[in-house]
Amino acid sequence: MEAEPGGGSGASLPKFVPGLINFLVRVSPPSGQSSQQQPSSSRSGSPARARPPGPPVAPASRTCGRRLREVRGVGSGDPTPCVCTQCLGVTGVPAGLQEVFGVRRPESRVCSRASLGEMSAWTMGTRSLDKRGSFFKLIDTIVSEIGELKQEMVQTDTSLENGLEVATEAHSMVRHKDDGYSMEKDVKSCPRDSGYDSLSNRLSILDRLLHTHPIWLQLSLSEEEAIEVLQSQPPGIFLVHKSTKMQKKVLSLRLPYEFGAPLKEFAIKESTYTFSLEGSGISFADLFRLVAFYCISRDVLPFTLKLPYAISTAKTETQLEELAQLGLNFWSSPADNKPPNPPPPHRPLSSDGVCPASRQLCLINGVHSIKTRTPSELECSQTNGALCFINPLFLKVHSQDLCGGLKRPGTRNPNANGTERPRSPPPRPPPPTINSLHTSPQLSRTAAQESMPETVNHNKHGNVALLGTKPTPIPPPRLKKQASFLEAEGNSAKTLTGGRPHPSLEPGLELELELELEPESSTAGNPGRAPPAEAPENCTRAQPASSESQPLWHGGRQRLSDMSISTSSSDSLEFDRSMPLFGYEADTNSSLEDYEGESDQETMAPPIKSKKKRNSNFVLPKLVKSQLRKMSGVFSSFMTPEKRMVRRIAELSRDKCTYFGCLVQDYVSFLQENKECHMSSTDLLQTIRQFMTQVKNYLSQSSELDPPIESLIPEDQIDVVLEKAMHKCILKPLKGHVETMLKDFHMADGSWKQLKENLQLVRQRNPQELGVFAPTPDFVDVEKIKVKFMTMQKMYSPEKKVMLLLRVCKLIYTVMENNSGRMYGADDFLPVLTYVIAQCDMLELDTEIEYMMELLDPSLLHGEGGYYLTSAYGALSLIKNFQEEQAARLLSSETRDTLRQWHKRRTTNRTIPSVDDFQNYLRVAFQEVNSGCTGKTLLVRPYITTEDVCQLCAEKFKVRDPEEYSLFLFVDETWQQLAEDTYPQKIKAELHSRPQPHIFHFVYKRIKNDPYGVVFQNGEENIPIS
Amino acid sequence: MMAIRELKVCLLGDTGVGKSSIVCRFVQDHFDHNISPTIGASFMTKTVPCGNELHKFLIWDTAGQERFHSLAPMYYRGSAAAVIVYDITKQDSFHTLKKWVKELKEHGPENIVMAIAGNKCDLSDIREVPLKDAKEYAESIGALVVETSAKNAINIEELFQGISRQIPPLDPHENGNNGAVKLGKQATQSSRRCC
Repeated sequence: MEAEPGGGSGASLPKFVPGLINFLVRVSPPSGQSSQQQPSSSRSGSPARARPPGPPVAPASRTCGRRLREVRGVGSGDPTPCVCTQCLGVTGVPAGLQEVFGVRRPESRVCSRASLGEMSAWTMGTRSLDKRGSFFKLIDTIVSEIGELKQEMVQTDTSLENGLEVATEAHSMVRHKDDGYSMEKDVKSCPRDSGYDSLSNRLSILDRLLHTHPIWLQLSLSEEEAIEVLQSQPPGIFLVHKSTKMQKKVLSLRLPYEFGAPLKEFAIKESTYTFSLEGSGISFADLFRLVAFYCISRDVLPFTLKLPYAISTAKTETQLEELAQLGLNFWSSPADNKPPNPPPPHRPLSSDGVCPASRQLCLINGVHSIKTRTPSELECSQTNGALCFINPLFLKVHSQDLCGGLKRPGTRNPNANGTERPRSPPPRPPPPTINSLHTSPQLSRTAAQESMPETVNHNKHGNVALLGTKPTPIPPPRLKKQASFLEAEGNSAKTLTGGRPHPSLEPGLELELELELEPESSTAGNPGRAPPAEAPENCTRAQPASSESQPLWHGGRQRLSDMSISTSSSDSLEFDRSMPLFGYEADTNSSLEDYEGESDQETMAPPIKSKKKRNSNFVLPKLVKSQLRKMSGVFSSFMTPEKRMVRRIAELSRDKCTYFGCLVQDYVSFLQENKECHMSSTDLLQTIRQFMTQVKNYLSQSSELDPPIESLIPEDQIDVVLEKAMHKCILKPLKGHVETMLKDFHMADGSWKQLKENLQLVRQRNPQELGVFAPTPDFVDVEKIKVKFMTMQKMYSPEKKVMLLLRVCKLIYTVMENNSGRMYGADDFLPVLTYVIAQCDMLELDTEIEYMMELLDPSLLHGEGGYYLTSAYGALSLIKNFQEEQAARLLSSETRDTLRQWHKRRTTNRTIPSVDDFQNYLRVAFQEVNSGCTGKTLLVRPYITTEDVCQLCAEKFKVRDPEEYSLFLFVDETWQQLAEDTYPQKIKAELHSRPQPHIFHFVYKRIKNDPYGVVFQNGEENIPIS
Repeated sequence: MMAIRELKVCLLGDTGVGKSSIVCRFVQDHFDHNISPTIGASFMTKTVPCGNELHKFLIWDTAGQERFHSLAPMYYRGSAAAVIVYDITKQDSFHTLKKWVKELKEHGPENIVMAIAGNKCDLSDIREVPLKDAKEYAESIGALVVETSAKNAINIEELFQGISRQIPPLDPHENGNNGAVKLGKQATQSSRRCC
């Protein structure tokens, strides 16, 4: 790179370096100043950015700015610098960019940021040392990297830029609307401080779109109304509404007069995963991205979309919110009427502010979005990588209202922030984001000058520390170094999140954080990177760096936490420090939580806008909460829109400030506390299902989801997504309770006992007895199936459970078919399934299936899942009724017998039946050697075995040695000892049903055969014969 | 792009009459390799065009053994159509069919489209059920009837096409091609109601 290799001339260095550092600094909030310095610098600098005590740096800074421009110019003469800035801001230098574009690992972005931060700090330190060859080398490297980067970037058409200075392009990269940027440029000042406040204020196109969707996203608007609205608008203004004709969402674009028609509709195609304009190959994860893209690139449109002037020039989220509140009325309100003319001088923001940003977006898109991604790609990578640049992390965390409200509660109205901003930088240094605004060069220069004092001040401190302790920063990072920076992903992410200034506030959290950090930090401490890392530390450290010895630094952990401290301190420039802290803590918290919680994060940057609470009564917890939400939004930004939506809804469901949250929380706790309000398990499950369906309906119609779900999820997926969300926010918390309840119900009504017994019975049957005539799973397969069923028990989502059931069925089919090569229908499958379920011997399957049957989305009940669920349910109910079924068969044969018997009685001459003819009685004679015979009528039910009857007789006849006795049937002059497992009543029934009446007796006597039988025959005359 | 309508179709009939063979033939014969295969033959799907709609048949096979009879309501619940299969070589299976028809009339979904399939028509030399009987019976209950051979792929396609045509179109105003549709002799179906 030609640009100022920093050849070693002392003079050139300062000039160039500032700009460069500026880049770097911007990028790296975490890198620190010493906390001591911080406050002081803020104090000195903040009041009015008045000229500071320090040496006059103004000229230098100006030069810097120019320099910077030059450097930028080198590569492509275009927006490249912006890109660089961008990269720096969001991702990191080249490698970072590649990351984003290619791999897009979120952490790496953050990470590289951090490393850059370190670097920048280091750089600063070095700079102070001046003329160190290594330093120049470093600069050199960086410059060349930037150049390369530029070349890598796709060029977009510059015409958009119209007359904007090259320098301004750079601004567009970041969201610059005021002089913040220029202040950043001032190298000498404490760059971080000024950079932060300048950045905090910027809004990207995506941001603007997100905040103002109530204005342009008018799904219920008719064509006519859309025409009406747009007709009074300048060309380029657009609306998204739903066309009744096409039954689709359309983008209605106001055309210039020369086009003839006032407007044109572009249909929006919704696939399962993406949104795109009809005829375009570029798809987007959601509507916001789509619109944002078309704000900068026309693709299939005649020209790019334009945001209404008021929206594109709004300076704060608050302003956007206010506009958004107008909703459709915005279009007819005075708010919309601002002429898109040169912006007021004090606001660098110009009407074309949008353009640069868009251009830049476009640029990014040029690299990325040209490719339409398949759903599978979408799953694991982000859809529109390019637009992901607008990372909510940086937009949200530093939302104006928050800062304003909190930081300076008394002094300023949050709404007024926009105007006052210059004076009071926001506490949190937001990394740069794409922004639509650019700074006017002049202004920035001025600003730079103003900020000078701080810088100087700061520098001094830093330098002192550095000089004192750190002799020479070691070898300048070269290209590969950058790779290593990137590798430090985790590390950097941590750093970012770890920006918790005051550990004392939340010791627990801090601890947690540090624990988290440890492993990574050790990585970070690897030799290669050590030197740069050290430098920042020294600069930033509150304790004099001099005391620190090199070895100490190896504890990466320490370093990290230090860094975070420094960051925070830099943040808190002129504000009450505790405020940002809280916010920060929340962030950390949530981000950690997110990391742990979502193991399956996917990379996707979604613009979920955290629901803005009315800021009026800002209480701390609320703040924390909202911060938390914002932060989690950031992390959720790495997920698919679907996951994000589910997550968002789940979050909403925990938020009792929303109607939806109340609804869900109240219901959940009601169920948990009122165990008696359901009559049966089915009743319980059905009410839950009903509740879920109702809540789904509510959600799809309410406006509590902001932005509306339609803008993020393609229409045919909305219900699916809502259903998943319901599972997460209703079934998940209720799972344990429901399981207990179901179990209780089944214990109470005895159905589990019955099932248990029957399972036992069925398991004893061989497959053929169950009607199985196909190969059955062997022991190993059954074990596999059991494992699947056990996994199923752990799921709360009925759909996931069903998936496992399907796997079980698939396995069964495989077994059946593999061995026979034929297709089996239900005639064969159902018996096998019954057999398998019995073999698994899991009582819990009963409740599992019930759970699925009742809670599964009814629309899925007709599909494959529903089919096999029905089959499993059927199989289980067959098992439950197995005994009865058997009994029914027996009984029916018995009934037949009885009927036949009755018929015979009527036809043959019979005496009136005696009592033992009745089904449940049996007349048994007892023959004892000495006492002769006595007879008793015993209560013997049909299924009582001979063994049981013997036992009964032993009692009744008071036999002392029952093992000596047994039950005999005396019929046709012969004695038959009855086997233990025969049924006397059945035998009796059989005898009765013979065509010829037989004389028979049941005799309880000694087993040893003896002559008394004859005696018995003679003596026992009173056994009735029917 | 045509809308896809999912139609649950339930298969009833004695065990051994060839219920699943009919479905396998219907689903597997026809090229469409894109259809996502189901895990087994008890539940199969096939999408066929019908007018300006696509009908996706979700075909639920049932176990024909008597002991599973009591489970049948769970299977035919919510069905848009039922295919009741008998074996033309077995008079008994035709009796069973009548029982099913009766049960569907009493307990089945309202307006369920009933189609009677006399399977194994390739074995007409040992036929026990005359086609005439089946036709008369079908007419009396307002059902489709067709003799099929899953083995020789006879009338399988026609059976399902017939069902498709009997399904009332979603939009009552767009019955353009539906009005003209008549399935063989079975024009008596009065179930052309918007669901």
